Amino acid sequence: MADSQPPLALQSFTPSKPLTLGVELELQILSTHDFDLAPQAEDLLRETARHTGAWDIKPEITRSMIEIGTSIQTEYGPMLAELQDLQQQIARAARKLNIAVGGGGTHPYQRWSDQEIFPSERFRYISQLYGYLAKQFTVFGQHVHVGCEDGDRALWLLHALSRYVPHFIALSASSPFVQGQDTGFDSARLNSVFAFPLSGRAPFVHTWDEFGAFFDKMTATGVVQSMKDFYWDIRPKPEFGTIELRVCDTPLTVKKAAALACYLQAICRYLREERPFEPAEDDYLVYTFNRFQACRFGLDGEIVDPKTHQRQKIRDDILRTLAKVDAHALDLRGLPACQAIRDALNDGNDATWLRRQRSGGSPLTAVVERAAACWVE
Amino acid sequence: MRLAESPLLAASAPSSPALWTLEGWRSADPVMGIALLMIVALLASEALSRFARLPRAVGPMLVGALAGPLLLRLLDLSELDRWKPLLDLAVGVLVFELGTRIRPRWLIDNPWLAAKGVAEALLAAVAVTGVLWALGAPPISAALAGAVAMATSPVITIVVQHELRARGQVTERLLLMAALNSMLAALALKVWRVVAVADAPGLDWQPALANAVYVLGGSFLLGTAAGMVLRRLAGAMHSAANTAVLQLALLILAAMLANQFTLSPLLALLIAGMVARQRMGHTLKVEPQLGTAGAALTVLLFLSFGLLSNFDGLAAAWPWALAIVLARLAGKTAAVLALARPSGLGWRQSIGLALALQPASNLAVLLSVSTFGWPTNFPSPDADVLRAVVIATTFMQLTGPWWTQFGLKHVARECPSGPSELRTPRAP
Repeated sequence: MADSQPPLALQSFTPSKPLTLGVELELQILSTHDFDLAPQAEDLLRETARHTGAWDIKPEITRSMIEIGTSIQTEYGPMLAELQDLQQQIARAARKLNIAVGGGGTHPYQRWSDQEIFPSERFRYISQLYGYLAKQFTVFGQHVHVGCEDGDRALWLLHALSRYVPHFIALSASSPFVQGQDTGFDSARLNSVFAFPLSGRAPFVHTWDEFGAFFDKMTATGVVQSMKDFYWDIRPKPEFGTIELRVCDTPLTVKKAAALACYLQAICRYLREERPFEPAEDDYLVYTFNRFQACRFGLDGEIVDPKTHQRQKIRDDILRTLAKVDAHALDLRGLPACQAIRDALNDGNDATWLRRQRSGGSPLTAVVERAAACWVE
Repeated sequence: MRLAESPLLAASAPSSPALWTLEGWRSADPVMGIALLMIVALLASEALSRFARLPRAVGPMLVGALAGPLLLRLLDLSELDRWKPLLDLAVGVLVFELGTRIRPRWLIDNPWLAAKGVAEALLAAVAVTGVLWALGAPPISAALAGAVAMATSPVITIVVQHELRARGQVTERLLLMAALNSMLAALALKVWRVVAVADAPGLDWQPALANAVYVLGGSFLLGTAAGMVLRRLAGAMHSAANTAVLQLALLILAAMLANQFTLSPLLALLIAGMVARQRMGHTLKVEPQLGTAGAALTVLLFLSFGLLSNFDGLAAAWPWALAIVLARLAGKTAAVLALARPSGLGWRQSIGLALALQPASNLAVLLSVSTFGWPTNFPSPDADVLRAVVIATTFMQLTGPWWTQFGLKHVARECPSGPSELRTPRAP
């Protein structure tokens, strides 16, 4: 696998307009007969090749997954409208192919050994390198990009946001079932992500130059070839000029996807303008514990504040945060997003909803069918 | 095989031939003989699967063909009349399973697919009729050949698809189109009968029309009723085993009723499956071939396909038979390819689909008759055409599983590689 070329240096950070958003969603392709995952990504891609709209659609690592990406957005309203448009077009294409498309962080009863790697060079490389982890990576997440004007500010924001990662895990969690069983986790998807050796979080550096030095060291060891090889929870994307939050499960509705993105946007604005704290290396002492609590218990998980060392429920921390960011959400015209987040605190997250569907004794096929129906509502 | 002295008596009676001779087999107890043939068939199917990589359905057909009128003549054609109810049930089980597997609403969601399904059946019929007419066959008889050519064997399709564990666009379309063109073929045969009677001098067409309406309508009603009864009763079943037995018992009932009232078991049970799936959704669990009882019936069915193989008159009829096979292949392929893009299928996939649509079934010819002997009470088509049709469909039936496998596995590439485990249905 070793190249004879010298390792590439870290790309310089492309400046982009701050607080712009981009949302990527990984979606499940389902058979309408038994609602198991169906390896029909190529057919769906062919059918949507001539779609209208600025969004794009591309394959993911296995053939039962599809990834859509919105164009660059700044506000909740147009973001939601674009997501709804792409949802309609994809649903129409799916109906034509007798398949269904849906959200959810994991498929409740797929078997990873049945999945097929999508035939492209990058995915074949990953499959060869990571073995069964590649097929086990048939999990479905939402990635949100936030624009930054330079690399230094991007890194500052990345570290400041780490404290809020449990919020996004708990709010978006939609993967309680794996291989036909209730895992007890609200988000079992992240366990698949954590299995990768280069998962975790970015090193605590302040400037883009320092980050470049770290990157050079990693490529010199041959462990890493590009930024794409890092599976961090928040990862800089220098080509786009963004940082990318990667911890969310794909929600069951586009409305929630848009709400999560705009909640992140409001938090970013709050952090940038008010600078309520300075991120420190010690903040990461509680990071993995908090993240586990969010994955396992969702909104009822307990997290430790890295600065004050106080414990509180994630639900309460979100309420406090909403109170702090409301004014910023108002300026960004994202108040409906915050309202949707408040509703989610009352109703519970998607994992709770999925469990409720199952609790009546419904077979998991019916649960998946209802979840897919949510997606097209 | 003649009826029922007990095997012991037959063996010991001085006048009966010794059991190890061919003559002895021919006079042995029929049930014993069939059981023996089934064992041989299973061994053959495993051997062919292992060494020649042929689908398991080929073995029983080959053994039946060798044991039947073609070679060893262990069985007289008309003796099979007694087995017809069992064979109808076997067909019924498999087409019921096919019915539960398809989603007719897809034809509305993708109108080009509906067009493709109708076009491939019609184009095959037109091509075959046209070619035979050009070769000098009488037009009404050529039309019969065309009507028969419309159908893809639903039985071979569902059995081979399940064995290959095929999944994908081509598989889904194949199942739906096989069901659709089988129904269109049944309709076309009834229409043909009316037209043939109208054409023949001295016969009234009204009874034929009434009969056609009766059979088609009655089968539809019977199937719908069976589906709805299944829904009612299945709610009371809470164990998987009982559910499968309930389904089988209901299918037996429906198949017997279809026979009683001279309706079409194939149509009735296909519709029963579709109605059951539509009404019951996820609560309908259908084991492949309805479990081991159905699996035994399937082997028996394929054995009887072989036993019923008829290559009489091959020397004279082979040009027309070949013309039928090729015209049917061309007609179906042309329609599938022409509507590939609008219906959302790629080129390679379309070729795979066209190949997988080739298996034919003698059932189509025998659908309108109530015995396996040739019908004497309605105008018989031209003998040469009939011979050619039977030879062509026998050939496409015996080679059917290979066409399905070639289309789905090698061309469309929708079959997973690697060994298949024996597994129960997965969706919990």
